[in-house]
Amino acid sequence: MRLLLTLVGAATAVLLAAGLYFGLVASPPDAFQGDYVRIMYVHVPSAFAAYLAAGTVFVASLLYLWRGRALYDHVAHSATELATLFTGLALAGGMIWGKPVWGTWWAWDARLVTTAMLFLIFAGALMVRELVEDRQRGARLAAVVGIIGALDVPLIHYSVVWFRTLHQAPSITRGEIKMAPPMVAALLVNLLAFAALYLYLLLQRVRLERLEAARSAGIEP
Amino acid sequence: MGLRTEGLSRRFYLQDALRDVTLTLPAGSVMLVVGPNGAGKTTLLRILATALRPTAGRASVFGHDLVRAADRVRQITAFVGTAHGMYEGLTAAENLAFAAAMSGRPDRSADALARVGLAAAAGARVRTFSHGMKRRLALARAWLLAPQMLLLDDAFSGLDADGARLVDALVGEVTSAGGCAVLATHQWERGLHLAHVVVGLCRGRLVEVSAAAQVSAPRLSALAGGWI
Amino acid sequence: MTAWRRAAALARKDLLLEWRGRETITAMAGLALLVVLLLGFVLGAEAARAPAILWVALLLAATLGVSRWTQAEVEQQALETLLLYPGSREHIYWGKWGALTLLLTVLLGLLLAAIGLLFNVDLWARFPLLLGAGLLGIAGLSAVGTLFAALLIPVRGRELLMPLLLLPVELPVLLGGVRLTEAILTGSPGGGLWLGVLAVFDILFLLVAPVLYTVVLEEA
Repeated sequence: MRLLLTLVGAATAVLLAAGLYFGLVASPPDAFQGDYVRIMYVHVPSAFAAYLAAGTVFVASLLYLWRGRALYDHVAHSATELATLFTGLALAGGMIWGKPVWGTWWAWDARLVTTAMLFLIFAGALMVRELVEDRQRGARLAAVVGIIGALDVPLIHYSVVWFRTLHQAPSITRGEIKMAPPMVAALLVNLLAFAALYLYLLLQRVRLERLEAARSAGIEP
Repeated sequence: MGLRTEGLSRRFYLQDALRDVTLTLPAGSVMLVVGPNGAGKTTLLRILATALRPTAGRASVFGHDLVRAADRVRQITAFVGTAHGMYEGLTAAENLAFAAAMSGRPDRSADALARVGLAAAAGARVRTFSHGMKRRLALARAWLLAPQMLLLDDAFSGLDADGARLVDALVGEVTSAGGCAVLATHQWERGLHLAHVVVGLCRGRLVEVSAAAQVSAPRLSALAGGWI
Repeated sequence: MTAWRRAAALARKDLLLEWRGRETITAMAGLALLVVLLLGFVLGAEAARAPAILWVALLLAATLGVSRWTQAEVEQQALETLLLYPGSREHIYWGKWGALTLLLTVLLGLLLAAIGLLFNVDLWARFPLLLGAGLLGIAGLSAVGTLFAALLIPVRGRELLMPLLLLPVELPVLLGGVRLTEAILTGSPGGGLWLGVLAVFDILFLLVAPVLYTVVLEEA
């Protein structure tokens, strides 16, 4: 476990550094948005990491309910926390991006709305876990919420997209960003970097959970 | 063997409600469980009813494991808890009809109500019932379920002499058909004549397991009062 | 068949209790009407706004009512008794789902009448279609609502958590319902697509929720 953690941590550090370089230095500013487009290199990967986390929550929750091994619960819990974190980051990034580019904090963009919904669902799953007296029961209930939420993701996404685009032209669109090759490279590197970051944080968090669980098992007489 | 438990335990977070309870009860017998408040009587009965899972140990009711064959256990068990479990907004008859439908039994609610002396109140909402009437209704429901394992928590609570006779009759019917009954109560005097086995619990542990005939009245008082 | 008997008995019990007290439907109808009045006044009661206001009111009121639906069992400590009957907990799900769907359909009827009156929209001509669209949405609302109502029983602050969990999950129902209703009333295109969205939502969660229900109701 330790070795894996070190390896992933090192890879994450390298990738993040590379991502920073590509995002800030080695890629050109956008024709319309100027340097503000660079926020995309953080915003989009955050959302990507959030979706990774959501997928993890789904699989881990299913496994936990089916098999009952504590490890699956640790993974599900950690992934839910990370999903909440990364959706929050994606939302913040989206808002910070929107303000200078379109003059508004919120663009009612389909993806932003979906991300906001996901944020609420995963935050809700965390609250369910916390607010139940019996910890094991809380874990199982949180797993159910996680499964429902994850299943709903595509439904929410498409219904939000179709709600706007098929009915009327939305007043604010993100617009096409012409992606020059260095920009594509920057985006890809950062996607990879955030995926690695997600994995690293997940492993650390799961490790922490296991230590906590071992400790409280020891405390009980 | 009607009931067999091995090292049955239940822990609630940091507290042991039940510790290492091992008992047997042959078919056709009655067990009286005595102990003060908080001794674990309700916990034991709820585990036997499959309302609660044990955190350690095993138990089986007429050969069916409580955890692995929980549904089979439920088919043959009737649990009368301290809460009457009835819907206040429904009438007595409606509550029993509901119980019959949910448990897959024929709807003999009229018979059941007659047996417990509530025939006249069949159409009255349970909300209007006294505590004693609600207890009788709970007994009627248990009779309707025709169980092989009858679990009565606080068996004589709220019942007058007539009500106590109903408990006697119900327990008698169950045991003469080869079933078992477990009665938890403070009022051991009322249940002693029914019992074959007396079990004493104190702070979750077994402090007495004897044939009923061999337990003296002072001993029973001490067990019920928790002075052991 | 026992499964049908159990589910039907449960639905009957829930509806009978509701009929005798009528607390849930009153609270829901009150909230729904209030939302319609407030939004109608603040936004302006043009016919074009009617579908959106209808569905928002329905969703908010349903979220309120869903919590109360399992409240009776909890308050009267009848839940443990209910769980001790032999048989699958899925039957309990279906019974509760059926009863809740029926209740929400009554609410829908009231809402349609209110909207027709207050927004001066001729609903009568399209009533069967509108009812059908409403039912499609309600089936989905009940599917998830029934599950969450039981899920939140042991959770502190459940009245506050219910909207937080239910509304985001039900967003596709809201969006689909609004667009489908618009398509029915104004003939705008896309009705088929939204019908599909609602149908997929319903089928997906009606398959998944009963199974998860047995997990949620393991202990009283």
